[in-house]
This record gives sequence, C-alpha cells and structure tokens, in this order.
Amino acid sequence: MKYALLVAIREYAENIKTKGFWIGLMLFPLILSGMIFIPAMLQQKATPTRHFTLVDQSAQFEDVILSALERSHQRRVLQALQQYAMTHARQAPGEGAGAPDLEQLPPPDRAAELLDEFAESNPEALEAFAREGGAQQVLERLRPLLRDDTPPFEEPRRRYERVPLPEELNPGADLAVLGQELKPFLRGDRKIRPDGDSVTLYAAVLIPADLTNHIVRPTRGMPELQPDQGVQYWSVNLADLDLRNDVERAINEEIRRREYAGRGLDPDSIREIERTRAPFASLNPRKEEGKEQVSMADYIRQWAPSGFVYLLWVAIFTISQMLLSSTIEEKSNRIIEVLLSSVTPGELMTGKLIGIAGVGLTMIGAWIGALIGLLALAAGPETEFAMRFIEVLKTSNLLPAFAFYFLFGYLMYAALIMALGSLCNTLKEAQNFMGVVTIILIVPLFTMAFIPRDPNGTLATVLSWIPLYTPFVMMNRATASPPLFDLVGTMILMLASTGLSLWLSAKIFRIGILRTGQPPKLLELLRWLRA
Amino acid sequence: MNAPALELDHVTKRYGDFLAVDDVSFSVPAGSIHGFLGPNGAGKTTTLRMILEIIKPTHGSLRVLGHASALEVRDRIGYLPEEKGLYKKMKAWAIIAYFATLKGMSRRDARQRALQLLDRYGLGAFADARTDALSKGMGQKVQMLASIVHEPELVILDEPFSGLDPVNQQVMEEIIRDLAARGHTVLFSTHVMQHAERLCNHILLIARGRKLFDGTLAEARRTLPRRVRIESTDSIDPLRHIDGVLRIAPDISSSDGPDPDNSHWEIHLREDADPQAILQAAFEHHIRLRSFEQADPSLHDIFVHLVGPDAREAGRP
Repeated sequence: MKYALLVAIREYAENIKTKGFWIGLMLFPLILSGMIFIPAMLQQKATPTRHFTLVDQSAQFEDVILSALERSHQRRVLQALQQYAMTHARQAPGEGAGAPDLEQLPPPDRAAELLDEFAESNPEALEAFAREGGAQQVLERLRPLLRDDTPPFEEPRRRYERVPLPEELNPGADLAVLGQELKPFLRGDRKIRPDGDSVTLYAAVLIPADLTNHIVRPTRGMPELQPDQGVQYWSVNLADLDLRNDVERAINEEIRRREYAGRGLDPDSIREIERTRAPFASLNPRKEEGKEQVSMADYIRQWAPSGFVYLLWVAIFTISQMLLSSTIEEKSNRIIEVLLSSVTPGELMTGKLIGIAGVGLTMIGAWIGALIGLLALAAGPETEFAMRFIEVLKTSNLLPAFAFYFLFGYLMYAALIMALGSLCNTLKEAQNFMGVVTIILIVPLFTMAFIPRDPNGTLATVLSWIPLYTPFVMMNRATASPPLFDLVGTMILMLASTGLSLWLSAKIFRIGILRTGQPPKLLELLRWLRA
Repeated sequence: MNAPALELDHVTKRYGDFLAVDDVSFSVPAGSIHGFLGPNGAGKTTTLRMILEIIKPTHGSLRVLGHASALEVRDRIGYLPEEKGLYKKMKAWAIIAYFATLKGMSRRDARQRALQLLDRYGLGAFADARTDALSKGMGQKVQMLASIVHEPELVILDEPFSGLDPVNQQVMEEIIRDLAARGHTVLFSTHVMQHAERLCNHILLIARGRKLFDGTLAEARRTLPRRVRIESTDSIDPLRHIDGVLRIAPDISSSDGPDPDNSHWEIHLREDADPQAILQAAFEHHIRLRSFEQADPSLHDIFVHLVGPDAREAGRP
C-alpha cells in the first residue's frame, strides 16, 4: 500500500502541474460567473439609453404611452433599490444562528421587508411606490437600516428616451412618406441631435390619425393586415422587443378602457375585477403535513440533480482521459518496466487510480466551491435563487450522493479505461477505443434533461439498472425519493460491477502493460482472463 | 566465495509454441561483474525479466539474493531495462528521486542522493531540466542513475551501452566499475564485446534461448585455438608442416585496411603447441618476418565462433 501511495502522489503531483488541469479548473467558474454576472452587467451598464421618436397623429395615445414607459422605468428603479437595500443592509441581530427553515426562509433583513411592500410588479405596488414619493422617499425610510459605509444610491438610467422628430421632417405628413423619410435615421446613415449630441435613432412609433377606426374585434374575424392602417413600429433591432411591447400594451389598455366606457362599464370596476383571483397552490404529497406547499426550493430540488449529473459526467470524462494518457505514457515510454521492478502491477494500478481520483476530486471541489462562492457573492433580489440553492445543498442528500456516485462511477470507468490503455501502444490507437466509451457515455447526457420530469418513470428505472449508467441516472433521481428497492438494488449492482471491472482490469493490465505490438484479439483476451 | 547473488535452475519460458528461454541454469556470485552475451533475440531480455519477476517462467526456479522471488527483495535490486524511457514532463532529479522512494528511500534522502549522483556523473547542470529537454544519451544516464540511486546489492542492466557515444560509454563503464568496487553485483547484457571484455569477470553466452557458455573470460578464450599473427612477403609454405600448426589463413582481421600484397597471415595452433617453434622455423627457412604477434582470441572471435551459425539465421518470430 505504501508503494501504491507513492505512485498516487506522483500521479497527483504531475497531473496537477499540467496546463489542461488548470484550464479545466478555471473554465467552469469562468463560464459560471459569465452566466451570472454578464447578463446583469449588460442590462445595467452596456445597454445604452435608446432614443425613439413618437408621432401620434391621432393625438390620443401619446400621454398613455409616455406614462407607461415611465412606470416601466420606475419598476426598474424599484428593483435597483431592492438590490441596493439587500447589499447594504445591516445584518439584523439574531440571524444566521442555526439552519433556517427552508420552507419559510425569512426575508434576509428588514430593509428588504420594507421594500417587499412594493416588490410585486403589479400596478398597485408601483402606484404605492409613486404615492410614497418614489425613490427619494423610500431611500429616506431605508437610511437607518443600512450600514454606515453605504454608497449613495444610483438610479438606473432610462432605457428609452423620447426625442423629437428631426426638424426637417413634417410630423403631419402621410405616415407612408414619413416612414420612408425616417429610414436613413433608423439605419444609422443619418444622426439625430436631441441635445447637441449626435445619436442614432433606435426606433420610431407612428400612430395614424384614424387608428380608432381600425380596431380589431374578435367578432369580425381576422382582418387583412394593412400596415399603414395600424400602429407602425420601426426599428432595425428585431431582438429587443421591450419598447414595442410596452407601447403596444399601453395603446391596447387605453383602447380597452375606452371600450368599457363606451359600453357603459366603469373602467375602474373593470380594473378591480381584473385583479380578483382565486388562491392557487402547488402541493407535494411527499412533504410533511402542513408544509406541503411547493416552494422554490422544491423546484431547485427537482432540477439541481441535473446540474450534478453534468458535473459528474464532465468529471468522469475528463479524468478518464488523464488516466488513459498517463497509462499510455508509461507504456509507450517503457517506463513501465522499471516501475514493475519496483512495484507490482496491482500496486501500480491502485496508485494510479487513487492519484487520478485525487485530481478529479480537487477539480470538482474547486468547481463546487466556486459555484457556492459565486452564488453567495451574487446574492441579491435576482439571485434569491442562489441562496435557496445553497440551502438545498446544505439540507439535502445531493452532496453525499454526488460523492458516492462519483467515487464508484469513476472506479468503474477508470478500471475499464486502464485495461484499455494497457492494451494500446499509442494514444492514437487508444482514441479509437475511446470512441466506443464516449458513445456509451453520451446516453446519460441525453437522458439528463428528461429524467427530472419523471424521475421514477420507466426510462429512469430501466437505465438505473444498467451499471454503467447507474451513477448518472441515480444521481439524476437523487432528490426524487426513488423506491428503496431501486436505490439499494442498483447500489449493490453497481458495487458488484465496479468490483468485477476492477478485477478484470487488473488481470488485463498485468499482461497487457508489458505487451507490445497489435492489441490482442478478443479470444486472446479471454485466455488472459483465465490465466 | 560468497553465496551467489543469483541462481537460475532449469528456467524455461514458453510463449505459445515459441521457446524464448530453453532450460537455462547459471549462477552469479556476489560481488562479480557478469556479462550476459548473446545475439539479438537470444532470450536475454526475457531472462532478465524473469529474474525481476516481471514475467513468470514456464518451468524452473530462481533464487534472487537468497529469496525465491525478486519481489521480496525488490528494494535491493536495481534494473535498467533495454528500452529506455522517462516521464517527459518531470525534472531529472525528480525522476531519480521518485524511483528511489519506490525503493524505500525517504523523500529527503532520495532528493539529496539524486542531486549528488547527477553531479558526480556530469549532469549537475541538468538536474532541474525536464527530461524531454535532455538528449537521448543524457536521458539514458539519468535512467541509469535512477536504477542505482538506492545502492542496490544486485544491479541488472539490459543493454546499458546502446545508443551512447564513446565518451558516455566510458562514463557508463565507470558507473559499473564504481558499483563493483563498492561490492555490488552487476549483471549486464550486451552484444558489444569490447565492453564485456573490459568489464567482466564472468561471461554467460546464450543464443536461441539456450546457454552456450558460462565461465570466466580465460575459460572462454580456451574454447578457441591459440593463434599467431605474422607479416611477411616471402612464401610461408614451409611453416605449414610444423608440428602443432592446425591451419594458416590470410589474416582478414588486420586493422590496417585492405592487404594488397597478401602479407598478413593468421596461424592457428594446437593447445599444447609452442608459438616459439614458428619463429624458429621461419629463421631456419629464411623467411623474413616484418612482424610476429602472439594473440589471444578476442571475445569477438569467441562470440562469432560460438554463435556464428545461429546468429546468421533469419530473424526470429
């Protein structure tokens, strides 16, 4: 065992030094932080204020559109305030002691509680926010709850700003003409100068004078679409539809409000009626009485295993490659002979398995550490998910299950791959065989997305009983309380096949490692196994 | 003499239908330098691998340093395989130290000893170089040092000189002599006879898996007739009839290049014949000799003599 450990230490130390290891180590946290921070950053910083022009020849909708956009902006201010409060709030006393009850996880602090009044993105909350005096007023109330070193609040910049029509254009002209005349501005060939700065016109909204004559009603069937009869939204950007949606919603709300009034209905009552609803809850029969309500944590529990399956897959795949190239190196360099004059094939194999497993664990440890660290770092109202996720990790069996399935999944595949490596003389030769292993390994990657929808269904159950897939599929089902029979049965089967593959591999390794020339025929292999 | 460091008793190794080593027995006394000679494919490497328990013999038994298996005494054995290879990404000293720890040395001692050895055999400047940056010869020396770093009692070297330039061949000889001087037993295989001739007390010759000769260098020489080399432009026919002369042939082994005037001759004598009789007869028959040389047969001659017919045969499977 001492010799096996020496082999393991060298294997670990040498692999840790490779560039491939460090790239693998860094890549995952980099991608992860990219996924967390870049969209938020892009939204807040990189998207410039966009300028649009609005021509309302009907003179009926300009106000509602502008006030809708203002509301939309206020909503973003509110969200920013909330993030600001979460980030800078004083730690409320008495918190953080003991694991909080996941299902009733309290809002992190009172500052957030205060903002919760306005948190719902519904009109009342916004109205209340505006009634309370907007950001300034709320900030005054927040002040005592924030830490002393809190930097001043920065209001997010407006996403859309209205600019007047370029002077040379006539707002009263026919919309078809106006649209043509606006084209060079919208394409960026010509600039507009609202405040002396030269900017590109992002979009133009043109409302015809007789819009109300062309209202689409369900009773009349689908009318033919005539662009010049409806509202025209001009823009080269087809991906960002926020402005278009805001404008469209504002106009439609106003039109409906008038319809109500026209039919003698009280618009205010209608609005009130529209907001009535029956309470609705998703319940989970597996949970304790009184706590059956499905929470965010439940959704995380359902989907988080997929993430771990992926991690497991990447880890097993990566370190299998390491093991293969390290075995081939020793074989093709004939170092193996010196090694075998010092250690037995068994010790060599054990040492390599342990050393490479250490490399894999280091990598995965770093990944999980990075995941938790990044999520904690990014904590804010938008990343409440992150905190729930960490709570799920702490309170569920995900991590121990992962460790277990990683260990045995790794051993099973590693044994096969070492046997394979011992039969081949060059990495190129081995890659041909690796192709087969890769195809086998692809299956759990495909099923990963389906299994959470039906974690105890036929597909999942059948795959669980195939030892090569047990680690992945059972990991996928880890939080879905699979039947005890499946859980224990597949575990025993997997342990047995791991033992079998280690035993077979040791036999093949012993003979194959000294062999040169063509990989053996299947018959010859069988003879080795009997030897 | 001490107990033998190594004993082989009717050892046979068979691969399928192919007999790689056929009933070979020999023993290597402790403290000797033993040359293991044989043509390509004679079974040298297979025998060495069996000694090291890397492969198991089909029949027969071995005793290594008094134990039935080399595995029991693996810390006391050093081995340099025929095909040399090192971990490409490791530093020279680290490889030597790694193999030393596999032989039971502590990491600190191993490191210290590795640096010492590299210094002593002219590689001190390359101690921190990665082995893929070393020349082939340097790499081979590093590997040699790795196989003796733990001061093994029995050192087994498979073709230690192959691929080395003359200077480094000398360094290798020096390493081997140093080992023997400290009382270690060395068994090395080679097909370059000069090294064996300079280094060995004992030689062991095998071909086609069978042992052909086992004994001291002097004993080996006795397997060939005594020879006298002479140079003369006169007719040498009268010498053919002297008692004890077996045969006279043109000397083709002359180192002076081609022999345009056919003046070099090699005279083979019976074991008990007196070379002085040739001199006397030459004088009597007025044969003027430009040179007269009484030569012992070289190991090269012995080798060709003993394995000649075998070695010429077509390559083995």
